Parts: sequence; structure tokens; C-alpha cells
Amino acid sequence: MMRRAGAYLVAVIAGLALGLGSALWMAGLWPAGDKLAFGDVDVRGWRSDFAIGSEAADPYTRLRVARHGLLALAQTEAVYFTRAVDDAGAPLSEGCTYRLSGGPMPAGWWSVTLYDGQSMLPANTDNALSIDGGRAGGGAWSAVIAPRRPADEGMWISSRGAGRFDLTLRLYMPEAALIAAPQTALDPPRVERVECPR
Amino acid sequence: MRRWVGPALALFGAAGLAHGLTLGLGPGVIMDRAMVALEARGVAVHAFTTPQRVTPQSQQVVRSSPDLYYALCRYDLSEPGSRLVVGMGDWPDYQSLSFFDARTDNFATLRGTDKAVSTRLLPPGSPSENGAIVSPSAKGVILIRRLAPDAESFAAAVEAGKADACRLERTSR
Repeated sequence: MMRRAGAYLVAVIAGLALGLGSALWMAGLWPAGDKLAFGDVDVRGWRSDFAIGSEAADPYTRLRVARHGLLALAQTEAVYFTRAVDDAGAPLSEGCTYRLSGGPMPAGWWSVTLYDGQSMLPANTDNALSIDGGRAGGGAWSAVIAPRRPADEGMWISSRGAGRFDLTLRLYMPEAALIAAPQTALDPPRVERVECPR
Repeated sequence: MRRWVGPALALFGAAGLAHGLTLGLGPGVIMDRAMVALEARGVAVHAFTTPQRVTPQSQQVVRSSPDLYYALCRYDLSEPGSRLVVGMGDWPDYQSLSFFDARTDNFATLRGTDKAVSTRLLPPGSPSENGAIVSPSAKGVILIRRLAPDAESFAAAVEAGKADACRLERTSR
């Protein structure tokens, strides 16, 4: 009798752990490194889920966004794309220098912001955490991502203190074509590794 | 062999239950924790809190944008007859008023580029009213975003924020 009760107890505890772990894994919250492996849209390495913020979000997306994108807007107002690797597929790292470049975006306003592995702004005081459409202008643009300010006067995003990081592209007031056909409407920024000295 | 059927069913049942509960309750738990954290950082109930510019040192919520002015108001419409008067002052650039329920859903957003916006927020189950929004949950968060990518425009956004409103009203029933 005791052995049978023990077997049930072990089964229930194991089941609870299995259910918790599988839900976190499928939501991309566990292990931590998988947090960006989500979404229904992938435009040349920039991933998004257009159901973010809405009741249409599946429960896995809802749980992941609650953890990593709390208070995000629904797609009618803004869409968010994220990537954690460069154009060659290598993880973005504070130790490297990158050239971020692109052109006009199909939205009323856009920005690219750098976040660390905890989805927070990196703890530096460089006042260079993002670039946006207002500074970039309406045509082709480029910026440097590096832990130190580059010698030229161009746009710079500081990765100092970020460790492994990711980039979020915000597109506010998105054009209808972007929502309907992101693959053709969006020419996303390129992330080219310039050097990686360490 | 048959003696393992019961424990196996218990294992799968517990796994399914834990899986479902994690997905079903997780966002609400995360939102609850965020509300507690916002309260601890001085975000008021039924009032927009004048924000600090988002920096690595001041950030309160994951993935905040340093280019935006964020003003938050927590609300609680649990008491019968309560409703919220919500307003967003004039701003010459992009601004929006967005509403999030206790499960993190963005259930409404009003854009107010170059204009002031006002509405009323009604408790769950209220009949619809012209110019009003019904909240899916009694508690939630309202967020004003204003495009303010530099210190000068952020200071101007703070001035504009003096016309914002998040005020509880009680109606006689």
C-alpha cells in the first residue's frame, strides 16, 4: 500500500515538473537562450509575432511576451521585430563591432534598440542606446554598433556592458502592406559584422 | 504491468494540469508582479505618474524604448459603480493611449497624433456606451506613449503630460 502511494506521489510530482517545464520550453522561456525563438513572421532573420498584445495571441506567445515584452502594443499600432544574430548567423556580442544599415521603413516612425540578455537596456552611461527614423532621415542610412564610440560622427549604438545582446526594430503606425505581406513590404536592416577582436 | 497504469495516468494528468495552469495563469502572475513592482516604484493608482526618461538606470519594464515618453496609470474598477475618466493632452508628434488588462492583453489603443484624446473606462460587464471602453478585467494598466527621442522633446512631453487625466469617478446606481 505504501509503495503504491509512493509511486503515485512520485508520478504526480514528476508530472507537475514535466508540465511546468514543457510549458516554459514551448513558450521559449526555458532554457533562457531560446527566448527569441518564437513568432510567425521571419523577414531575413528579423522575427516577429503579429499577434503580440492581442487576444489572438496563442497562449505560448502570450506567456513569452508577458515575460519579455510586457505592455507591448497590438499590430494595428506597432509591430516589433527582434534578432540576436548577425547576417552570418553568429550571436551578437559586445566584443564585436557591427555595421547596421538600411533604408526607408514602411511605418510612420521606427527605431532600433539594443537590449541585453535580460531584455533590459545595457547598464552603461553612453546615451547611445538606439537610433530612430528621425535621426536616420528618409533615405539610406547606417550606424555602428560597438562598445566604444567610433571616430567618425555617424550614428552609434553602444553595446558596452551588454554581453550577448539582441536588437529590437520597432515600427510604429505600420503601413497596411507591412501587416499583410511583411516579406515583400519590409526591407529590414542588415547587421554586418565588421570585426571581432576577442 | 497493470500496476503502472494508475501512476502513469497520474503523471500525464498532472503534466497536463501543470502545463495548462502555467499557460493560463502565467501572464496574470507576471502582470501581478509587474503591478507590484510599478507600485513600489511610485506608479500611482488612478493618476498618471510623471515619468523619468528611460535610461539603463531608470528602466522599470523590460524592453522599454529610450525614444519614448511613457506615463503609466494603474486602475482598479472593483468597486461597484466605479469608472475611469482618461485623457491625453495635445502633443505635436506621435502619441497613443493604450489599455492593458490583467492578462496583459492590449484591449484598446487610441492614437492622438497632434490632438488631445479623452474617453471613459468602464468595469467588466458594463453595457457599451458611446465614447467609452469596457475593460475585460477590473484591474489593469493604462499607458501613454509619446515620441520624445531627445532630452528637449522629453521635457516638452512632460509639460504636455500635465493635461493627462486618469481619474476615478463613482456613479450612483
